[in-house]
Amino acid sequence: MNAQPRIPVTNLQHHVFYVTDLERSKAFYIKLFDLQFSALNHPDSSAAMRLSQQEMHFFSFGFHHHDICLVKHHKLKMDNNSMLHFALTVKDAKAFDDVRSRAQDMGLSIREGRILASARPASRSFFLQDPDKHWIEIIEEPSR
Amino acid sequence: MSKSTFVPPNVLPPFKLRFAGLLKRKWFREMVLLWPTLTKRRFSNKTEDYGVFKPSLVSHIRQLSIYVRDIARSRAWYERVAGMTHSRTCEPEPHPFKEGWRIRCCYMSAIEHEECLVLVEEYDPTGRITVPSGMSFFHFALEVKGNQLEDVLAFAKQQQADGFQLNYGPVRHNSEPPLGDGETGGNVACYLYDPDWHNVEFCGAMDTIENYRARYGDLKGKDRA
Repeated sequence: MNAQPRIPVTNLQHHVFYVTDLERSKAFYIKLFDLQFSALNHPDSSAAMRLSQQEMHFFSFGFHHHDICLVKHHKLKMDNNSMLHFALTVKDAKAFDDVRSRAQDMGLSIREGRILASARPASRSFFLQDPDKHWIEIIEEPSR
Repeated sequence: MSKSTFVPPNVLPPFKLRFAGLLKRKWFREMVLLWPTLTKRRFSNKTEDYGVFKPSLVSHIRQLSIYVRDIARSRAWYERVAGMTHSRTCEPEPHPFKEGWRIRCCYMSAIEHEECLVLVEEYDPTGRITVPSGMSFFHFALEVKGNQLEDVLAFAKQQQADGFQLNYGPVRHNSEPPLGDGETGGNVACYLYDPDWHNVEFCGAMDTIENYRARYGDLKGKDRA
């Protein structure tokens, strides 16, 4: 047997999820996290978007071109029935406090702790919902 | 490895898959965009400030949890295709926000990212497992070891040799031939559907604050259409 070694993945790199109102969600993620709006793909600018009837807004955490993308499907309705949550690690303790403070100022409902009872403990964590009821967990831990 | 019989509405049908490869041809992209071009609605898909990065409060995506119908089937797929390792599978626990519902979690790790993916079976109050709708996210992306163009190409070739069908790619998400599909980010990517039709991107070599200016200098989005 001379099977080629498998080429593995190293990390979860970015996440592209559906929203119903791109402008509302864009404002939410920028206001809460200072995300950088890095690109817009629209059916009038992108052949792939025109064929798939979607529109994508790209956001960077500050180094890669995109880390999360918001997608609006112009024909299909999104729901919350294929993803339970996603978690974001903040830069440091001050960033954690800043996000929590901003969430409170935005009137968001905050729940303390890890969202999954079976998850490993984090230094600090809380979770909340975005405008489309996607659950987001905010975690403080040492950077990778 | 078998797939769920329920096919979400956002899954590309076979005839559209045949056209997907043509997105690497500029003439095809121009044809698709003919109407917005003629009606003068067309614009560059890059924002003016693309490449002007500044820090955010976020460091990285820590974890993603997705619903699956069969943890054993999905675990086998992520081990085989993505080379991920099984960290642990837990006993059923209460659903964090659905009263009376329960979940079972399987934590999967990548070689530099512990427990980055959670495969979740969800049970309603009668104990019946739910079917993932496919309509919460478009795709998520896992970075291929090596993180270079040739690494992603080798990864794609390996999957095809093993009988796994790519639903898109390999492509490069920019406009540069021969792989460029006119999209943004600069990442080289190929896509596969997992057993629940979740679309998974395997990528590398995404544009960064460091290589962006080396490639485009001070050109703004409208100058790079």
